[in-house]
Amino acid sequence: MATLHLVSHSPFTDSRLASCLRLLDSDDALLLMGDAVYALCNGTSFREELESLAASISVFALTEDLQARDLTQTLPIRVKSIGYPEFVKLSCHYLRINSWL
Amino acid sequence: MARSMLIITRHSPWSGTSAREALDVVLAGGAFELPLGLLFLDDGVFQLISPQHPSSIQQKDLTANLQALSLFGIDELYASNRSLAERGIAADSLSLPVKIMQDDELTALIKRYDHVITI
Amino acid sequence: MKFAIALFSPPHSPSSRRALRFSEALLSGGHDIIRIFFYQDGVYNASANIVMSQDECDLTNEWREFIKQHRLDGVVCIAAALRRGILDEQEVQRHNRPTSTPNLSEGWSLSGLGQFHEAAQQADRLICFGGH
Repeated sequence: MATLHLVSHSPFTDSRLASCLRLLDSDDALLLMGDAVYALCNGTSFREELESLAASISVFALTEDLQARDLTQTLPIRVKSIGYPEFVKLSCHYLRINSWL
Repeated sequence: MARSMLIITRHSPWSGTSAREALDVVLAGGAFELPLGLLFLDDGVFQLISPQHPSSIQQKDLTANLQALSLFGIDELYASNRSLAERGIAADSLSLPVKIMQDDELTALIKRYDHVITI
Repeated sequence: MKFAIALFSPPHSPSSRRALRFSEALLSGGHDIIRIFFYQDGVYNASANIVMSQDECDLTNEWREFIKQHRLDGVVCIAAALRRGILDEQEVQRHNRPTSTPNLSEGWSLSGLGQFHEAAQQADRLICFGGH
């Protein structure tokens, strides 16, 4: 009964990611896109928090947003970079999609 | 069977049209007697304060629209205990009969609905 | 799978482009789009009056072409649209705005939030795009 959460705001100026992380269930997934991928910057508390999430929670980031921000080389091992075809597959796999608008 | 929807409203009432337009989604679904839930999260809990005086900034009274929820048969109303506590809002001062939930209860709540939307 | 899509942000926001690329990938993957519903600032995507520089991504045009090409049901929330100055011929007359020109793009319709719920009822998945 798992949920795919979509977050697109920078965690440094906005509380959406923080709120989302508190409500994640152990089998949920998180897809970071837009400025939310800044959460993956080296040496930040958000990156640490994402790295320490339960292993059962899948974390994804949209490839085009990582590329645009030059973040592809420093991706944590547990974060998978995906394109739109995989985004579609995830939307089918998870039972509901919670967009943090 | 009708598909259920949880609407999570996380904007304060007078910061623009977000709170009103989130409530409009709920009321529109209520008009079709759909199984809907409404969760007040983050700044959304500021919608629950009573009384408020929006006429001083020439706004329509959103809190009056909130009272229409029960007329539309929407009684699955929830608020985040953490969001209320962070903002110093007392649980017994709210304008709607919301169920106040801890984070782990909210996690379980989301999974009870077919669709979820956080506005 | 059957998808209902809702877009909450304007054409100059990254999420409008993201919603379009996702919708294209949905159709490429053999899925169905029941309806694309435009709400809040998303109604600006249906404006025929947005003019972009030649070297900029023209999303209103791309949305228009996408909806036309695949004969999709593009519905714009009427209350949100009126509030933001997106009108069709009927609304120009109804609200007695003789100096206004209808600016709802061809191929889209203005309707109520009931259309959002109706699409969500028929869909296996509801996906919303908005924010940044």
